[in-house]
Amino acid sequence: MLLEEISLLLQKGKAKEVKSLVQQALDEGVQPADILNEGLIKGMSIIGGKFRNNEVFVPEVLVAARAMNFGLEILRPALVRDGNKAKGKALICTVHGDLHDIGKNLVKMMIEGQGIEVIDLGVDVAPEVIAEAIQEHHPDLLCLSALLTTTMMNQKVIIDYLKKAGIRDQVKILVGGAPVTEQFARDIGADAYAADAASASELALAYCR
Amino acid sequence: MLLDIHQYKINIDKTFQENYQLYHDAYHKRPGNVSLRVLPPCDVSFYEKIDLTKYDFEKDIEQYTTDLLGLLDQSYQARKTLDDNMIPTVFPILGIGDYSAFLAGDIIFKPDTSWGEHVLKEIDDWKKLPPYGSTKWYRLFMMITERLIQKSAKQGIPYMRGFFSPLDLAHALRGEDIYYDFYDEPEKLHELLDYCATMTIRFAEDIYRLVDKYGKDTTYGTWYTRKQINMSEDIACMISGDTYREFCRPHTQRVVNHFGSGYMHCHSRAMYLVKEICDMDHIVHLWLATDPNQPRPIDHVAKLVNDAQGAVMAIDCDTFAEIEKNYEAMKKGNFSICLPVKSVEEGEMVIQRFRQLEATHR
Repeated sequence: MLLEEISLLLQKGKAKEVKSLVQQALDEGVQPADILNEGLIKGMSIIGGKFRNNEVFVPEVLVAARAMNFGLEILRPALVRDGNKAKGKALICTVHGDLHDIGKNLVKMMIEGQGIEVIDLGVDVAPEVIAEAIQEHHPDLLCLSALLTTTMMNQKVIIDYLKKAGIRDQVKILVGGAPVTEQFARDIGADAYAADAASASELALAYCR
Repeated sequence: MLLDIHQYKINIDKTFQENYQLYHDAYHKRPGNVSLRVLPPCDVSFYEKIDLTKYDFEKDIEQYTTDLLGLLDQSYQARKTLDDNMIPTVFPILGIGDYSAFLAGDIIFKPDTSWGEHVLKEIDDWKKLPPYGSTKWYRLFMMITERLIQKSAKQGIPYMRGFFSPLDLAHALRGEDIYYDFYDEPEKLHELLDYCATMTIRFAEDIYRLVDKYGKDTTYGTWYTRKQINMSEDIACMISGDTYREFCRPHTQRVVNHFGSGYMHCHSRAMYLVKEICDMDHIVHLWLATDPNQPRPIDHVAKLVNDAQGAVMAIDCDTFAEIEKNYEAMKKGNFSICLPVKSVEEGEMVIQRFRQLEATHR
């Protein structure tokens, strides 16, 4: 019941209430992993599905993700104490030449909502910076966002750069953004294409398992 | 440098007349018009040819305006035999950064576009912005505009300028934090949108005044600045119809009402918003750009006829067969349909077929 309420309040973006209920659940002895999976992650998954179906929109996803982070703030020490680890690690960025970050941020939040650690390299990120980050963080997944038809080609530039540097096969590469298509993703040698943030988070989870 | 507008298009007076009829009918919500625009490569190649990073706009305005008008001249000369609904116009190309930088912040130029800076850390920081008309980019933009109009008005070529809607402008100034403002600061968001509406009206009036100064004695010079405003509602694609109605519509409507009629732009991602946008008073045109991975407007003509309520829906398609297939349905509303073609020659053939199609449905 309490976990259901956490999920519902998260979906409504009620950050303070989520935080307080997570604390209450911990105080009542609910397992931290259950709070995470049945409360926070469940709520975020429902929001992701609604976003995909145009039932909710960007503001609703953002406030829900913020509520999740409020809950995680309280939950994280307990998760660490119990030995719960992130389900995987992802690097994310918007490609060089492109300053748009809303799509990237939505994907980041949804992937975090799956219990995956996400390192955000920001926007307008050059191939060299990505290569260095792969070598430093050893992620399972690299997510590349591009909003413009002119900058989507830089997803290919990055993949080619990683191939040349001999590190392409160290990560799965997921591409997305308004002009990107499944066919384009195949053509440039990405591992997968995600049409929306919810699909991206599902793919991310599959790659991190 | 530019030629007289009559040298850029065969039958330009007829093109103006057809456009006048289309928008006059749309204003009065009378359906029955389908108009065609073909899009050969020369119609868009100037966007790729102009490198915005090569200019220092503090000293290169003369060079920039010369280069830009040269590219427009090439484009219009290349398509002068095309008897479609396109009207040659003059407009600045500075990316999108200038759409907000006239109020505050710098423009970040990339070779093919630009961005403005998000300057509002807090939602009510707009109260601390420089007085209207005092910024570097207001000054430079007006200088560029005046020079472009000086070089084109006598030739009778209309000047065209679109604007951000209040929501798009607020987003450009505030950045992604604006999405939280819908929930956290609804009243302050209304204040910001109201400010953006006021600034858009002032900016447009200043530009229109320049157009009048040089173009009022020409036949078509003020065609796109008389009793109308052209605005994008791109950010609306990120919000629901309910949110649009509550937060955006009142402010966009105020701008439209000030000028008399609204020519709007949005994306097919927001097909659900067509009704919301066209429900406003005096909306005569909505350019619904087709997004990849999203529904194609041409596949939803009946819905668009219903939702547009007589406003001209400017949509695109991939083949002439799609125009033929949807022609009858489109005649139940008002449509301006754009068909990309590989060459001017192909465009000529398509227009010929379109004129035949018109004749058989008259």
